[in-house]
Amino acid sequence: MRARGSTRDLFAPLPAPPAPPAPRTPPRPAPESAAAPESRQLWLCAQLPELALAAVGAAQDARAVVEGIDRRQIVVAANAAAAAHGVAAGLGLNAAYALCPTLIIQERDARAEEYLLNALARLATRYTPVVSLAPPDEILLEIRASRRLFGGLDALIARFRAELTALGHTLRIGLAPTAQAARWLARAGNVLVESPALLAGRLGTLGIACTRWPPDVQEALARFGVSRLGELNRLPRDGLARRCPIRVLDELDAAYGRRPAPRTRYLAPERFHERLDFDEPVETLAQLNPALGRLLDALGRYLTVRAAAAASLTFSFEHRGQSATRVVLARSSAAHAAGDWRTLLQERLMRLTLRAPVIAVRLRSGVVTSAQARSGTLPGMTDAAAVNAAAGALLDRLRARLGDSAVSGLCLVPEHRPEAAARRVVPQAALSREPILVPSAPRPLWLLNQPEPLTLRASEPWYHGRLDLESGPERIESGWWDGADVRRDYYVAATESGVRLWIYCTHSSRRWFLHGVFA
Amino acid sequence: MTGELDTLLREPAFSAVAWRARDISGAGPVLKSGWPRLDAALPGGGWPLGTLIELLLPRHGVGELTLLLPALRALAATTDEELRWLTWIGPPHEPYAPALAQAGIRPERLLLVRVTGERERLWATEQALQSASCSAVLAWLESVPERALRRLKLAAGQGNVFGVLLRPLKERAETSPATLRLALMPTADGLAVEVVKRRGGGRERIADVLSGA
Repeated sequence: MRARGSTRDLFAPLPAPPAPPAPRTPPRPAPESAAAPESRQLWLCAQLPELALAAVGAAQDARAVVEGIDRRQIVVAANAAAAAHGVAAGLGLNAAYALCPTLIIQERDARAEEYLLNALARLATRYTPVVSLAPPDEILLEIRASRRLFGGLDALIARFRAELTALGHTLRIGLAPTAQAARWLARAGNVLVESPALLAGRLGTLGIACTRWPPDVQEALARFGVSRLGELNRLPRDGLARRCPIRVLDELDAAYGRRPAPRTRYLAPERFHERLDFDEPVETLAQLNPALGRLLDALGRYLTVRAAAAASLTFSFEHRGQSATRVVLARSSAAHAAGDWRTLLQERLMRLTLRAPVIAVRLRSGVVTSAQARSGTLPGMTDAAAVNAAAGALLDRLRARLGDSAVSGLCLVPEHRPEAAARRVVPQAALSREPILVPSAPRPLWLLNQPEPLTLRASEPWYHGRLDLESGPERIESGWWDGADVRRDYYVAATESGVRLWIYCTHSSRRWFLHGVFA
Repeated sequence: MTGELDTLLREPAFSAVAWRARDISGAGPVLKSGWPRLDAALPGGGWPLGTLIELLLPRHGVGELTLLLPALRALAATTDEELRWLTWIGPPHEPYAPALAQAGIRPERLLLVRVTGERERLWATEQALQSASCSAVLAWLESVPERALRRLKLAAGQGNVFGVLLRPLKERAETSPATLRLALMPTADGLAVEVVKRRGGGRERIADVLSGA
């Protein structure tokens, strides 16, 4: 009889247990460190520590720029006069005032800083086409290919530094094969590292503060006992990845060149630029007209092709041996067609006198923005847009011929002092819907720029005849807080010839003045 | 005397034979001046629009702006979508915004043009008169050649603008193509207005025009 499965089968050895699981792969494997793609680049970083101060304007007295962070006002930058007292970035407002009681505080103007940074980036494009912005206060230039043109690395750096310093900026320079390392080296001081082999060593000696990581991250790293970047680099990666934000490892890899970190390139906005030479020097403006017409036609074609509009134009008339004569035309709304510019140019040229014969004309446009097509209005219909366009056109024509300051609007200022209760403003394009506060006592339609003193006859004010006081007194006392305090009693007076005047008597010295005329 | 002539001419027997030039002149669009005595004397019952009006003043401040204020207020109180300016060209002093606000005109409606030189003044006035964006133009002029005044009248005729030239009283003797010329004289009883020229002819003197508004 055949055995139906031997017991040996039942007791066959069980299959071997599965092998223990392989060790968990670290979440971010260290990338290949051989021939990093960025090793053939050379980045120059210019850090402008006083950009916040330059954006609000230079001054001699002690000034500091503050920003509101978490409902506290923190000093962002302090100029040299303030730093002499001990005011530095990071201080609170009260501490700053305690150190320097005469400190003048200004709000941080982020838009002005951005504008300045863009202007400096445009300047930097003269050194290399690869410029990158690293806000808030750094510019990166890739200069590996530019060294020979400028006569060597040292000459390039010296020239760049001189150019920015001449504009009034203080800057710190960092040079490294990677962009991120250049930024950190710039913050540490003027550290220049040219070859990739020396990068790791130099980076390793930098303190953690150069990275500008958030304060809680820096505190955590301090608790690990890490104070230098070299120590941070030697820590195990998976532990770091678990305890610190991703940003820390990313930036570390980018700085050491282990990971490519492409940057967005700064592109200057497009402008129109064209130049016309003359065979013979041109003496009169009438002879310039054909050339100007050609330039404006070229501008019109350029704008039409791009469906764009320019808001300002600069004409430069070049002379031999002298600096060029510049004419700047600006419009309140970006004009689309060249014909719009022609009338403005004619008005402006009537005021222009040429210092010397012109050998060339150059036309440069301001920033070119995309324009919306204008739809024409049917004749006979008064379109609100047509009226607004006509208003803009009238303003432009008046300003072009009479000057910018000749045309203005009026607005009310909530002030008791009569001379300060109104001021000139740019003419409004739209009405504000705010309710206006009207003084209850009568006010004259003409106000004199300077109150005219009145002579006294028999202790009565006299102005080409006797004055009859019709109404008053209206007591105005105001302005004690800014030193121009007034204490006056105002009266409405009528002269013998029937003109009504607004006169006042000062409280302190009992002198009479004429301030306005009722028309 | 004028009243008796009026009643006589209104007799039906006379209306077929005699008519007054003022009654048949076709007046264009008018703007009520806000002063009833003045409206009664103006053809059409108000300020004529789309043409030149001259106010002749012995000096600044006799009350010319008070005379114009109700009309300016009416022009300024239009809808917000159409922003039409009240343009003042070459005023002798600074217009005071709180006084305008008291008169009911929002100060943002004003466009102030400061000019030096007569040619610039005339040019700016012409530009403002022919622009569709001004509902009123007040220009302070001195002696102006008649040719230039004709150009200004042409410029004003392109639209419905309320165009006022304020000139010294001594220019009264000069001929002017303006449709309406008023001489303002302050008297003991108030401001007197003498109609020097108007459509339909005839001179008239209104005493104390600023009362009874």
